[in-house]
Amino acid sequence: MQSRAFPLKLRVSNQQKGEYAMIDVTHVYKYFREETALQDLDVHVGKGEIYGFLGPSGSGKTTTIHLLTGQMKPDIGSVTVMGKTGDQLKQPDFLQRIGVMTEATGLYQRLSVMDNLKLAADLYGVKAPEKRINELLALTGLTEASRKRADKLSKGMMQRVLLIRALLHEPELLFLDEPTAALDPASTKKIHEALLEQKENGVTIFLTTHDMEEAEALCDRVAFLHHGSIQKSGVPKELRREHADGSISVELQDGRRYRLIQDEKHADRLAGWMKTGSIAAIQTNVPTLGDIFIEVTGRELV
Amino acid sequence: MSISWKRTYAVALKDMKEVTRNLFILSTLITPFLFALIFGREADVPLVIHFMIINITFATVTCFVQMALLAEEKERKTLRSLMLSPASGTEIMLGKSAVASAITLLTLVICLQLTGYMPDAPVIYAGLVLSLLFYLLLGMILALFTKSLIEASVLVMPVIFLLGMGNLFFELVEDYSFAFLLEYLPNFQLEYLAAAAGNGESGLLHLGGVAAWTVAAAGCALILYRKRTYLDQ
Repeated sequence: MQSRAFPLKLRVSNQQKGEYAMIDVTHVYKYFREETALQDLDVHVGKGEIYGFLGPSGSGKTTTIHLLTGQMKPDIGSVTVMGKTGDQLKQPDFLQRIGVMTEATGLYQRLSVMDNLKLAADLYGVKAPEKRINELLALTGLTEASRKRADKLSKGMMQRVLLIRALLHEPELLFLDEPTAALDPASTKKIHEALLEQKENGVTIFLTTHDMEEAEALCDRVAFLHHGSIQKSGVPKELRREHADGSISVELQDGRRYRLIQDEKHADRLAGWMKTGSIAAIQTNVPTLGDIFIEVTGRELV
Repeated sequence: MSISWKRTYAVALKDMKEVTRNLFILSTLITPFLFALIFGREADVPLVIHFMIINITFATVTCFVQMALLAEEKERKTLRSLMLSPASGTEIMLGKSAVASAITLLTLVICLQLTGYMPDAPVIYAGLVLSLLFYLLLGMILALFTKSLIEASVLVMPVIFLLGMGNLFFELVEDYSFAFLLEYLPNFQLEYLAAAAGNGESGLLHLGGVAAWTVAAAGCALILYRKRTYLDQ
C-alpha cells in the first residue's frame, strides 16, 4: 500500500493566480482504497478563463471535477470554488451558479430533447425557458431536433444537448469533462464555437480533455495531469515556445527534407539552397502540446 | 429547510411521463388488478383477501415503482445530473413519491371497486396512509442497493411474497415457531387493524404497529441517504 504520510514540505504553487480565483485547489490529495488518485494538486483558475486539464484516461481528471463540484471531498488539502468550500458545494445557491457536463450526467431517454431541457429549465428556475432553449438550440444547430426523443439522437447531438443543459441557466462557471470525446469534427466545431461565445460572455470554463488540438484551440492555460499530479502548466503558446528546440524544417524541390538547428554552420547551408532556389518549403519546428506531454511525462496523451 | 414546489412538480411531471412510457414498470400494475378480478368475483370476499390485494398493491406498485424510478435514474446516469441541480434531495424524493403515490391510489381505487370493499373507519384510512408511506420509504431504501431496473425487479420479489402475499400464505406456516413473528409485519398489522375496526374496537394498537414500521423505515432512509451524500461513500 502506498504511503500516505502527511506532506511535510510546502510546495509553492507554480500556477499563475488570477485577480479573483474562481477555483482554488491547494495541496489536495485524494485516495481510493490503495490507489492515490490525486497527489499534491494545486490549481488556481481566474475569472473568465478557459482552463484545460490534459491527461490520459485514469490520470485523475474526472476525480478533480468531482472534487470541484462537491461530489467528493479531498482527503488532504482544500478545494474552494467561487469562495465556497466543503458542504457549501452541495448547496442550491452554489449549484445554481455552475453548469456541469460529464459522461455521468445523461438524458432521459424516453423524453424529447425539449422535455429534457424544459425539466432542466424548471429545476434551475430559468425565466422565459422556451425562448432560452430555442436560442441555445439555434446556437448549436439543433433546432430541428427539439422534438426528437433522446434515445434517437446521435452521440454528437446528445453531447450538444448536454451542453445546452449545462448552459441554460447562464452559469458563471462551467465544468466540462471531455466535452467532445468521440465526436465528429462538425459537432466538435459547434461545441467549440458555443464555448468560445460563453467565454466572451465572461463565463469561466474548466474542461478536461485528452485532445491536445482542442486544448490549443480553446484554452487560455493548460495543465498536464499524470498519475494524479500536475507535471507542467502554463499558456499553450508559451509552453510551445519554451519547449521548442529552435530548429527549422526545410523541404527541397527534389523532395528531400532536412531538420536544421539555427546556427552559423547551417545558415551557410540554408543560404546555399536559397541561392539556387532549391527550397520548396520552410517552417519553424514548434512542438504540439502532445509532444510536450510526451517529453514531460514520458507517455502519450491518449 | 424550504421546498420549491415548482422543482418538486417538475420532477414529478418528468417521472409521470417516464412511467407512462415504460412498459416494464406499467406491467407490474397487472398483478393487483388480476388478483382483484379473480377474487372479486366471489360473493363474499373475506377481509384477508381484501387486504392481500391492498398489500400486493403496496408491494408491487408503491414499493416497486419507487425503486424502479430511482434504479433507472442510476442506470441511465440521470440521477447525478438531478443531484447536481439546485433541486434538493427532499424535492427529488417528494416528486418521485408523488408519482408512486398517485399510481398506487388509482390502482387501489379500481381494485377495491372490483372487490367491493370500502373501508368504513377513519382508523383504517390512517393505516392505509401510513402503509403507503412505509412502502414509499422501503422502495427508497431498496433502491440504494440496486443499479438497474432488472436488479430492482429481482430485489422486490421478497417484498411481494412476504409483505404482499404473506397474509395469504400464513396458514401454511402458522405451525412453525417463527410464525408469530410474521404477525408483527406491517401487512399483518394493517389487516388486524381493519379486523379490529370491523369488530367495533379502536384498532389503535395495530395502527401503532404500522406507524412504528413507518418511523423505522424513515429513520433508516435518512441515515442511509445521508451516508451516501458523496460519490466515494
